[in-house]
Amino acid sequence: MRARDTVSYSFGAIRLRKLRAGLTTLGIVIGIAAIIALMSFTEGFQVAITSQFQQGFATDTLTVSTQSAFSFLGGGSSDFSLYVNDTALIDGLDSVQTSVAILTKGSSLDKGDWQRTVSITGINYTSYKSIYSSFKAEYGQIPDQPANNSLVIGHSLYDPGDNGTILLDVGNSVVMSYTTRNGTSLIKVNRTMEVVGVLGKIGAFGIGPIDSGVYIPIDTAVDFFATDVVSQIVVKLVNADSSTADAVSSEIKALYGNQVTVTSPTALLSTISSILGLVSLLLGGIAGISLLVAGVGIMNIMIVSLMERTREIGILKALGAKGRTIMAIFLGEAFIVGLIGAIVGIVAGALIASIISIALASGGGFSSAFGGANGGMSGASAFAAIKPVITPSLMFMALSFGIIVSVVFALYPAWRASRLMPVDALRYE
Amino acid sequence: MTTVLELENLTKTYMMGAVPVQALRGVSFGVTEGELVSVLGPSGSGKSTLLNMIGALDRPTSGTLLIKGVDVSKLSDNKLADARKSVGFVFQFFNLIPRLNAEANVELPLAIAGISRKERKARAENALKSVGLADRMSHKSAELSGGERQRVAVARALVTDPSFLLMDEPTGNLDSKTAQEMMDLVVDLNREKQVTVVIVTHDSEVAARTRRTLRMRDGLIVGDEVN
Repeated sequence: MRARDTVSYSFGAIRLRKLRAGLTTLGIVIGIAAIIALMSFTEGFQVAITSQFQQGFATDTLTVSTQSAFSFLGGGSSDFSLYVNDTALIDGLDSVQTSVAILTKGSSLDKGDWQRTVSITGINYTSYKSIYSSFKAEYGQIPDQPANNSLVIGHSLYDPGDNGTILLDVGNSVVMSYTTRNGTSLIKVNRTMEVVGVLGKIGAFGIGPIDSGVYIPIDTAVDFFATDVVSQIVVKLVNADSSTADAVSSEIKALYGNQVTVTSPTALLSTISSILGLVSLLLGGIAGISLLVAGVGIMNIMIVSLMERTREIGILKALGAKGRTIMAIFLGEAFIVGLIGAIVGIVAGALIASIISIALASGGGFSSAFGGANGGMSGASAFAAIKPVITPSLMFMALSFGIIVSVVFALYPAWRASRLMPVDALRYE
Repeated sequence: MTTVLELENLTKTYMMGAVPVQALRGVSFGVTEGELVSVLGPSGSGKSTLLNMIGALDRPTSGTLLIKGVDVSKLSDNKLADARKSVGFVFQFFNLIPRLNAEANVELPLAIAGISRKERKARAENALKSVGLADRMSHKSAELSGGERQRVAVARALVTDPSFLLMDEPTGNLDSKTAQEMMDLVVDLNREKQVTVVIVTHDSEVAARTRRTLRMRDGLIVGDEVN
């Protein structure tokens, strides 16, 4: 029998039992839709993170800190400290273009009519700007020779609700303050600052400047917080080669006698990617189970169908059909069910993923799930940035998976059908 | 005259549970091209078993069975399936595929043989014309009368140009008038188109319309008469 005739014969058999074929197909639809929805979502998550990383953080940088990048996962912190002037040491190394010390402390910000607690970051504006392209003023400017009282704020301090209600604008004066102890007495340290620049919106993920950040000149920070211990030093390399990053990284470690941790954003990105890959695999696996259940359903239906159509098989065999023709007809039916199920499933999965993404965007995501001292990811609107991504390879995978599951589970019934003796099959009532 | 069918000491033993049942106990006869032969016997005489052997649906226990000179008694399943293509089997219960229309049912053995759609269509139309059903081609079997269904079955058997038509109780499910018409058609096909026909029946009236009758009893041929 020609392939086209086999398919058309199989299709006719499916059309005869529409409801049953529909329900069988539904099993595949659900399985494939689940796979597409989950995988496209994790894929979208990955794309969102990757693009934010690439926007906010050049891959030609290294971050030097005294604690492990994942200290919140259980790594210890040490007593070793990095100092503001260490940038001079690091700048002296080969392949280092520039470096910037980052001094981060919590502080209160008071404008008279409101007060809030923020994280103040002391940096060298010029170097920081040269490292992070996202450190760019949308309003006002980021001066190269800043006055001691200048302050640059992230977008969410300028317009927290993103609705035009300005909290803090260029030219405004604010008082930053913190309380320290001198023996038993409490001393409040104040300083009046003037907003000179507002950063553009950065987004959910990224290393470097963040929307909720407050940036002051490093000298002011050292003076105000009365310390020259910095939380980290960001190093800009002459190029983005991983060999350069590795070489400089070991040089810096050697310089500090292995008391510091050097992380590259690429390494961080690949760690996150591999975690996401694992999550994606896990979710895909769960969806895969529903597809297996659908497969068992197909097998069940095929066996019932085989019994109902024993006589038909007998007729076909009496008319000269070989075992393999019968097998091809049964597998053809499974193929059609799998193909239709997979196509409908891909469309349904894409719809489900978009609905989930819209729901998450309007409902907000986890707040500061990945919040870090500095250079972490602020996740207030993290999920708003995620759009499900359905790549051609994901579609192809889902399509072939749907078809393969259907056909594999139909193999046994099809084989049984092909083995029927025509005499017995014709006698079957 | 070419011999299209030759049986030599054919036996068939079934196992009914643990009890062997000898359905055929050494059957020998031959059919030459253009003959119209009936095999007449009461139920239990081994007719159906003989029919299954001649139709290449089953293998004999011993003896030889030549269809168009090919010994089919020891063929593999696939080869046996091919051998069936030279037999035009007409079943007692018509055995049409209900979801297909008359034309598609007639085309089916050609489709199985891998013949192109265009050729199939032409041959199916011819076959249906030859049984007088040119105007019923697009009807499904449920929309056809018993006689018409039987004629579709005959057309389906003829369409492959088989060596011979093998008919199982061709009038068994028809009223006497339709049965008469069916036999007229068979006799016509044999006379006009030189189609070789073997009819297996328990009906002596049907046997009387054929030129040669083989009588069967207890798994043996007990008579070979010219009517």
